[in-house]
Amino acid sequence: MSDFLSFDTLSLHSGQTVDSEFGSRAQPIHQTTSYVFSDTDTASSLFNLERGGHVYNRISNPTIGVLEQRVASLEGGSAAVCMASGMSAVFCALTALVSQGDHIVASANMYGGNISLLKNTLPRFGITATFVNPTDIKEIESAIQENTKVVFGELIGNPGLSVMDLEAVSKVCKKKHVPLMIDGTFNTPYLCRCFDHGANIIVHSLTKWMGGHGTSIGGIVVDGGNFDWGLNDQFPTMTEPYAPFTDINFWEEFGPSAFATRIRAEAMRDIGPSMSPMNAFLLLQGIETLSLRMDKHLSNTKDLLEYLTGHDQVSWVNHPDLPDHESNKTARKYMPKGAGSIITFGVKGGKEAGRAFIENVKLASHLANVGDAKTLIIHPATTTHSRIDAEALVAAGITEDMIRISVGIEDVSDIKDDFNTGFRAAKKYS
Amino acid sequence: MYQEVNGKKVFASTGGKPFQKDQPVVLFMAGSGLDHTFWGLHSRFFAFRKYSVLCLDLPGHTNSEGPPLKSIEEMGAWINDVVTELNAKDISVVGHSQGCLVTMEYVSRFPEKVKSLSLIASGYETPVNDYLLNAAKNEPEKAVAKMMAWGFGVAGHLHQGRIPGNSMLVGGSKVMSGNTPNELYTDLNACNNYKGGKEAANNISVPCQLILAGKDQMAPRKLTTALADALPDSRELTMIEESGHMLPLEVPNKCRDLLKTFIFSKNPAG
Repeated sequence: MSDFLSFDTLSLHSGQTVDSEFGSRAQPIHQTTSYVFSDTDTASSLFNLERGGHVYNRISNPTIGVLEQRVASLEGGSAAVCMASGMSAVFCALTALVSQGDHIVASANMYGGNISLLKNTLPRFGITATFVNPTDIKEIESAIQENTKVVFGELIGNPGLSVMDLEAVSKVCKKKHVPLMIDGTFNTPYLCRCFDHGANIIVHSLTKWMGGHGTSIGGIVVDGGNFDWGLNDQFPTMTEPYAPFTDINFWEEFGPSAFATRIRAEAMRDIGPSMSPMNAFLLLQGIETLSLRMDKHLSNTKDLLEYLTGHDQVSWVNHPDLPDHESNKTARKYMPKGAGSIITFGVKGGKEAGRAFIENVKLASHLANVGDAKTLIIHPATTTHSRIDAEALVAAGITEDMIRISVGIEDVSDIKDDFNTGFRAAKKYS
Repeated sequence: MYQEVNGKKVFASTGGKPFQKDQPVVLFMAGSGLDHTFWGLHSRFFAFRKYSVLCLDLPGHTNSEGPPLKSIEEMGAWINDVVTELNAKDISVVGHSQGCLVTMEYVSRFPEKVKSLSLIASGYETPVNDYLLNAAKNEPEKAVAKMMAWGFGVAGHLHQGRIPGNSMLVGGSKVMSGNTPNELYTDLNACNNYKGGKEAANNISVPCQLILAGKDQMAPRKLTTALADALPDSRELTMIEESGHMLPLEVPNKCRDLLKTFIFSKNPAG
């Protein structure tokens, strides 16, 4: 008998206390803005972080709280805070650590929104970033400066699909005493629990595989509770008195959940990127079947990789599970079940062939999302990464002929039939 | 805050308010391998109600300088050294698990400044099995896992908790993991070797309350009943049936309400 509940069981149950009044088996949706205080002493206790509970929906909500505790449990984190989107999660996680004059080391091979935040938005506030090859450990180490507050990357880069060697990067971060923040959207905790390999903070776009049904935008920051913020004076947001909450010292009072508490106390109150309770409910429904869906995503991905690598109209196929992929060894180490369900490939005939392929498939949906139960396709160079410059495109591993597939959980033979239609349309350009 | 005691740096969380020696004091002592963060849902409450709060890290634990103390008797005497150094008076002492052994030892030997004693989830002795002792010494990850598995009840294992978004089970394991292998092993060994608990309990002369957990796997009912019997007849006893051993985390509001009622009446603040 195991000491702890398993991943699948936690996916269904963790965080939820069954409603004691009506016995609702499903998690109720607490669609309310605020919460009645039983008395003035309780009210002041809640405001002063003396007791757990809810005050106002911008800060916390019971339905969202269940989602937070569920994801924290699946990741092995000590605490989590949900946000309106994955990007707000990234923003709030970073700005809980960095202030004007601080620096971030970031993977160059990341979602375009992350790149834009670091390259365009944060510099306006005096926060700079150095972009690095996430597979080059020496480059990462040499990029860390005295004012670097965090190293940030994706385990599986989007859309280049390079895989970060978490333990090697973590070793460098430990040596320099800088936290490692991982965007785990593409792997989900089912494929890799990044805290087990040295990450200190995990962010997710819950919109993707975690929710899994393309219904709800949401993000989350998970605190690993495994970084010593008080080792030196490098992290004043965690260790110095915070005036808005009676000079609270987050690290001293909250220890392993200090980072998450800082985000809830500051970012959720002052910036307010709150998730809606309805979205939290829908995302919880998705997480209940996370392992089942991921297994099907992976098996379909495996079939499609065989199909695409053997197709005479395909010039190249990119997925970390392919033996000749530069990250194959790393991917097998950290994601033995499979390295996710994003495939990129090039259609012979270049951009026009790609356009014909995308415009003629019927089952696969042409849209800007990934991680839906349905198969999705897109041309990154003209859409998700269209706002970044040519140099950054190359750094992110994006070519003009690249098509990105988010493999769904349909019957794989139907996906192949659909792709055959696309390839027939593309043939005249090859 | 940090205070030098016996030439060593000692850390105490003060609940968000500076320690003031002219106020009554609530002193919290956590269990084996744990630290000041265990009391987060209690310390601020008292600190913002005109008490000076001391959530102590034992020597070698988290922020306090080592080495760890090897016996419960030494730990009890160390508390007296700390409060003497701080000129603390009118002290309400609160202990959990191993912290109960330590605080009973302290209060029984140095009752002069103590106004009340609250004991949570403990017997007067804490025998530790060989498996756990060996694991703490040689495979601390396994020891921490067992401590968490046995320590928490259903709510802990389901990662529920009163603080939105927090997993008390993971948080507890992170704190305890940071205090391995030496501190946890030394603590467990000290518990196992401690034989003075019955006498200490018999000698408690200050008002005392005992808060027990109905689903406690670490301090089973046989041991907690024995402690209840060994304490003075005047002790107040409350059993919270739904809770596991980590009672201050699992049912914080009930626990705090009990502490509040007891401490406010026995050691009122301005």
